[in-house]
Amino acid sequence: MAQVEKRGGLLRKSSASKKPLKEKVVLMYDEIFMTEDPSKCSPRFWEELFLMKVNLEYLEGKLESLDGEELMKIKDNINCLFQHCIQALGEEHPIRVVNALQTLCALIRGVHQKNKSTSGFDIINMLMGFDKAELCMKNLMESLDSLLCAEGSESLKSLCLKLLLCLVTVTDNISQNTILEYVMINSIFEAILQILSHPPSRREHGYDAVVLLALLVNYRKYESVNPYIVKLSIVDDEATLNGMGLVIAQALSEYNRQYKDKEEEHQSGFFSALTNMVGSMFIADAHEKISVQTNEAILLALYEAVHLNRNFITVLAQSHPEMGLVTTPVSPAPTTPATPLGTTPPSSDVISSVELPLDADVQTSNLLITFLKYSSIVMQDTKDEHRLHSGKLCLIILTCIAEDQYANAFLHDDNMNFRVNLHRMPMRHRKKAADKNLPCRPLVCAVLDLMVEFIVTHMMKEFPMDLYVRCIQVVHKLLCYQKKCRVRLHYTWRELWSEKSELLHPAAIFDAQDSPRKETWRTLINLLKFLMSNETVLLAKHNIFTLALMIVNLFNMFITYGDTFLPTPSSYDELYYEIIRMHQSFDNLYSMVLRLSTNAGQWKEAASKVTHALVNIRAIINHFNPKIESYAAVNHISQLSEEQVLEVVRANYDTLTLKLQDGLDQYERYSEQHKEAAFFKELVRSISTNVRRNLAFHTLSQEVLLKEFSTIS
Amino acid sequence: MGDTVVEPAPLKPPSEPAPGPPGNNGGSLLSVITEGVGELSVIDPEVAQKACQEVLEKVKLLHGGVAISSRGTALELVNGDGVDSEIRCLDDPPAQIREEEDEMGATVASGTAKGARRRRQNNSAKQSWLLRLFESKLFDISMAISYLYNSKEPGVQAYIGNRLFCFRNEDVDFYLPQLLNMYIHMDEDVGDAIKPYIVHRCRQSINFSLQCALLLGAYSSDMHISTQRHSRGTKLRKLILSDELKPAHRKRELPSLSPAPDTGLSPSKRTHQRSKSDATASISLSSNLKRTASNPKVENEDEVKFPGPLFSMVSSPSFTSPHPLLAPEREFIKSLMAIGKRLATLPTKEQKTQRLISELSLLNHKLPARVWLPTAGFDHHVVRVPHTQAVVLNSKDKAPYLIYVEALECENFDTTSVPARIPENRIRSTRSVENLPECGITHEQRAGSFSTVPNYDNDDEAWSVDDIGELQVELPEVHTNSCDNISQFSVDSITSQESKEPVFIAAGDIRRRLSEQLAHTPTAFKRDPEDPSAVALKEPWQEKVRRIREGSPYGHLPNWRLLSVIVKCGDDLRQELLAFQVLKQLQSIWEQERVPLWIKPYKILVISADSGMIEPVVNAVSIHQVKKQSQLSLLDYFLQEHGSYTTEAFLSAQRNFVQSCAGYCLVCYLLQVKDRHNGNILLDAEGHIIHIDFGFILSSSPRNLGFETSAFKLTTEFVDVMGGLDGDMFNYYKMLMLQGLIAARKHMDKVVQIVEIMQQGSQLPCFHGSSTIRNLKERFHMSMTEEQLQLLVEQMVDGSMRSITTKLYDGFQYLTNGIM
Repeated sequence: MAQVEKRGGLLRKSSASKKPLKEKVVLMYDEIFMTEDPSKCSPRFWEELFLMKVNLEYLEGKLESLDGEELMKIKDNINCLFQHCIQALGEEHPIRVVNALQTLCALIRGVHQKNKSTSGFDIINMLMGFDKAELCMKNLMESLDSLLCAEGSESLKSLCLKLLLCLVTVTDNISQNTILEYVMINSIFEAILQILSHPPSRREHGYDAVVLLALLVNYRKYESVNPYIVKLSIVDDEATLNGMGLVIAQALSEYNRQYKDKEEEHQSGFFSALTNMVGSMFIADAHEKISVQTNEAILLALYEAVHLNRNFITVLAQSHPEMGLVTTPVSPAPTTPATPLGTTPPSSDVISSVELPLDADVQTSNLLITFLKYSSIVMQDTKDEHRLHSGKLCLIILTCIAEDQYANAFLHDDNMNFRVNLHRMPMRHRKKAADKNLPCRPLVCAVLDLMVEFIVTHMMKEFPMDLYVRCIQVVHKLLCYQKKCRVRLHYTWRELWSEKSELLHPAAIFDAQDSPRKETWRTLINLLKFLMSNETVLLAKHNIFTLALMIVNLFNMFITYGDTFLPTPSSYDELYYEIIRMHQSFDNLYSMVLRLSTNAGQWKEAASKVTHALVNIRAIINHFNPKIESYAAVNHISQLSEEQVLEVVRANYDTLTLKLQDGLDQYERYSEQHKEAAFFKELVRSISTNVRRNLAFHTLSQEVLLKEFSTIS
Repeated sequence: MGDTVVEPAPLKPPSEPAPGPPGNNGGSLLSVITEGVGELSVIDPEVAQKACQEVLEKVKLLHGGVAISSRGTALELVNGDGVDSEIRCLDDPPAQIREEEDEMGATVASGTAKGARRRRQNNSAKQSWLLRLFESKLFDISMAISYLYNSKEPGVQAYIGNRLFCFRNEDVDFYLPQLLNMYIHMDEDVGDAIKPYIVHRCRQSINFSLQCALLLGAYSSDMHISTQRHSRGTKLRKLILSDELKPAHRKRELPSLSPAPDTGLSPSKRTHQRSKSDATASISLSSNLKRTASNPKVENEDEVKFPGPLFSMVSSPSFTSPHPLLAPEREFIKSLMAIGKRLATLPTKEQKTQRLISELSLLNHKLPARVWLPTAGFDHHVVRVPHTQAVVLNSKDKAPYLIYVEALECENFDTTSVPARIPENRIRSTRSVENLPECGITHEQRAGSFSTVPNYDNDDEAWSVDDIGELQVELPEVHTNSCDNISQFSVDSITSQESKEPVFIAAGDIRRRLSEQLAHTPTAFKRDPEDPSAVALKEPWQEKVRRIREGSPYGHLPNWRLLSVIVKCGDDLRQELLAFQVLKQLQSIWEQERVPLWIKPYKILVISADSGMIEPVVNAVSIHQVKKQSQLSLLDYFLQEHGSYTTEAFLSAQRNFVQSCAGYCLVCYLLQVKDRHNGNILLDAEGHIIHIDFGFILSSSPRNLGFETSAFKLTTEFVDVMGGLDGDMFNYYKMLMLQGLIAARKHMDKVVQIVEIMQQGSQLPCFHGSSTIRNLKERFHMSMTEEQLQLLVEQMVDGSMRSITTKLYDGFQYLTNGIM
């Protein structure tokens, strides 16, 4: 790559001679790598150096080739170079600034690569010298800050961000990157915010800025006070938050789009000739091949924003009418002066063409919808580690959302109806839901759908217990809100669910009242069944009782508090019907937990909790089953219809007494520090590596830059 | 039931109905006046008398120039009593009126004066009679308008022009469309008489300016384009929009001054009012000067105040903009209209709704601003549009939509500064108020919740960015939110469960509570993507207000109000406005005559000849929606909503139904309202019916298919709700109709006048043909006896009941538009 640069660079003429003749800049580097002060013989050495086009490869390679001791010998010169770089950042001429920035990148990276092998090497001392480090870094950060905030060249800003990203990701473990201590003291938070709040700069650098912020927030998150965390948590400027939301939404929807494209490619490629029936047998396998690199960095940014900043929640629901179509930046359509609407909000950029795009097919979307779609794709396959991480992070974000008052308010807002095309894993026994028939519903339905979808599709040997627990928690938290605020969700969307009911219970063809809530119950019962049938395998790895307890308690929520959030009295009857119908599963569960809680084994306590939780369900079964049998006997019917069972249920409520259980509607708040610290450390590590790799590959070639500035000069 | 004397005379009413000053007409003017004035609290009798005399004398004396300038003196005198706020504002306008008059008036006056003089001299005797009438307490705004319209005497017109100043603003406002239509389409004398009043009021109120400008535009639009450009209406409109009539030049300065001088300024103004000419002139001059001098600064401040320069003209920087006062409002209206236009291009209701919501959310970014809803009855600033609440209404090809608007009421729009913006997410702080108390949570749990975000989170400083002072107290509580909520909740749901003893509940109780709670909530409609408005309209208004208030960052403010408005784009609302006026007039006639007929005129804002806004009727859904959603007959729906036949709720709903039905039957008959399908008839929560959509009235009917030949719409379903043909309520219904018709007949002129004046220069379909007014008058049946009228009512009811065309029309609507 450096070769390419050379050819395109300033030194075209000299390099054209193709002799081993060294570039001037390389000669100058060599001088630096001498122990003597290079400015001794040529006093204008440093000035000249920054006029030369940087040879990154050489500089980095040279630094890398030196071992610790050798490096220590030329410490003074490196300090000097570093200092002069920082000085050059203040220069008027952009070429010098560019070169200084690039040199800094090379320096930092080169020195760190050294650092890997010889640990305990003090990088700060190496680069700046202990005595001057503080001032040096202060100057550096200030220069970067002013470059980022100035009305200057966009590519220059981009380079600044690259340098910062380079600095932040230079170690695998971000918390061990001591230089960042100075970045903490000399905050560039405001500069990042400014980039995000300005539509033009956001378009250019939004992504880098958001990733940088997400990483900075994770520096020594748990050990010290990180000013970026504090600052991020109190941002309340709508334009900035919206900007951040847009950047994240665009990155996520770009992923969704890519995935969709690939999927279509696959389908048309492999199965065009095959009949639908045969084809659908294989879809499941073929799908595993479709993978698009997930973007954990942006997901992390979303997480930090949702988790830290309570104002960001509003952004989730903020409509981005333009979002669906904006993978390619909208051409700078001149604002038609005829359009009377002066509605160009300062925050949104693409809308700046005053009129929103008038594409009838484009659905208005928002960040939450995009995120849900993204989650549905990511969560369908949790086999490789990246995806497992992503899936987990998605669920954590959903957990935070489900705990938030405001988020719940708009999730349950009956007036905010959306059609959310979740990705559904194609499975043998169900057709792919036709997208067109999706009803418009409050967003919470999409969240519930997503959870149910996950539960249905991951009952496998490699049981992702952790994700299941999180799933159930999300459902529970949503229910708690519904109970608290007496939200009665109305479902009348039989079409969507009839396929599933087929899947779950092929014999039963249920009529109009078949609601997703019921499906949720069935899904949950199925999950219980799965847990029991795989008891031995699962128990070896997991404590399945926590999950079982949570599921049983969801039922308990419905049983004891159903009056506060069920939409109709008949849905309460249906709940009983489902429990009675599936009583075998509950009986089995009960005998299992009873067995384990009486044995003095490691599961004794956990199992006995489940035993207690089952008390009401067992009461219902024991109360109604005899009644139903006698009804059947009296009326000489061998098989009761649903209607008949419901009739018996309705007639016999009054003789049934339930026990009120404590704490059904309470949950433990999500807490990162206690439970998730390890996960986030690991996640940030992998993100750092990723970002660093991407930086190394393509970002530092600055031909554009050079073109831009050579014309200026 | 008293014998109301039916006046047989179809003559001019004012000549007859002045029973006030009977007998000794030789008596001095003064006596009549004092007699009349006894109850006139608004105007000092002497002053008024003098003013009137002076005017008339001068008129008699003649020459136009004087007649005009006399207006100035008259005002001066009228003004002299210091009546109070209403007239106070006269302080400086007269001076300026005079100036403006000089420009326009001078040419105008000299031409017409001579002819007028001759006529006047002949009529001087009659005029003294007129004067007595004019000065009597019976001379109300309706008469004034009538004389203004009918009199050919410039003197009389000029006099009435002056008298307008004496009426209450609200009374004159009602006739604003008439006044402006006369101004546009009638001869110059009328125009000259009206203009000073209009100009004066425009100076007083920015809302009035806006309404005038809009109406002038709308009513000029029927003129030929070439004449329109130079018409007086267009000129006046330009004048208003040019902001030269700014009520502003002082008021606008106020916000930019510090509060202290602000309060000091207005009283000093008040003291100046007598010697208006010099003092005020200098004040206005100096303030004008100051304005120009400090312009940049003022504008800067303004820009800070209106968040973003958004509703100020985008193209031109606001301080060079010629009309910065009306501009934000006009821009706001334009944006709403533009949304309507764009919605119309989308194919499905669902897409329209989603688009509407996202468009409005963008609009929200620019609020609060110096904008208001003209349909509201009080001064306010619009601060937010709860965008998710907006719905698209049912319409085949256009896209009318209903929005809710949050406003902060203020004392005086012109002097109050725009409220500061509160970001959306601030609601969360207010929300937390609801769930503050109750800490039934264990310490570990609480500690856990605090430690989720360590170090910085417990720092009150961090959150106190929310600088809403009074909320700050709760802020530390905020992030423990859900713990608290939950604990609180478990307490309230478990109800007093202190002991460790197991608590038992009966399953039957849960089930019962569920059905009870659902029974208590009024039957909500189901969401239907094809009819998104049904649910929104069915929700009880109070409920909606509470809900939106809860979700609004401004909801905690005491002056928070919720308004709603229907934005219509592509529809001519001038007929609607006419119907509104007639309904309003009938309503007040019936009220005056104590006939318990119920009708609900809803406010109309005409924006142009093809756009406008309508104030929605709250708590009402269309009968079509009722039937479609409930799948019940109207009677069964009544029973479902209000209870069984004998309950009080049902009976009062039934009474309401009858009274409103009778009222609207009369309206439909008198105005010949057509297109009466069930989508155009609303039913409110109290059982009233409300007719909407007066697109086809008087001489026009839809597609002239000749359907709906009956006098009004009365289906058997309606009769069933009334208790059947033989029921008491049905008789009551017919009796109400008779009483209503008699009352309306008594005041026919008040009704006809409204319509007649609007016919001037109008191309509206309702005035099609030459006999509109004659037919209208005939429908009052002035010559019939009461017995005959009773028979007529019977016949009409009978006819309507039997009318096959009603059924046909409903069938037709069902087939073509799916309206049940």
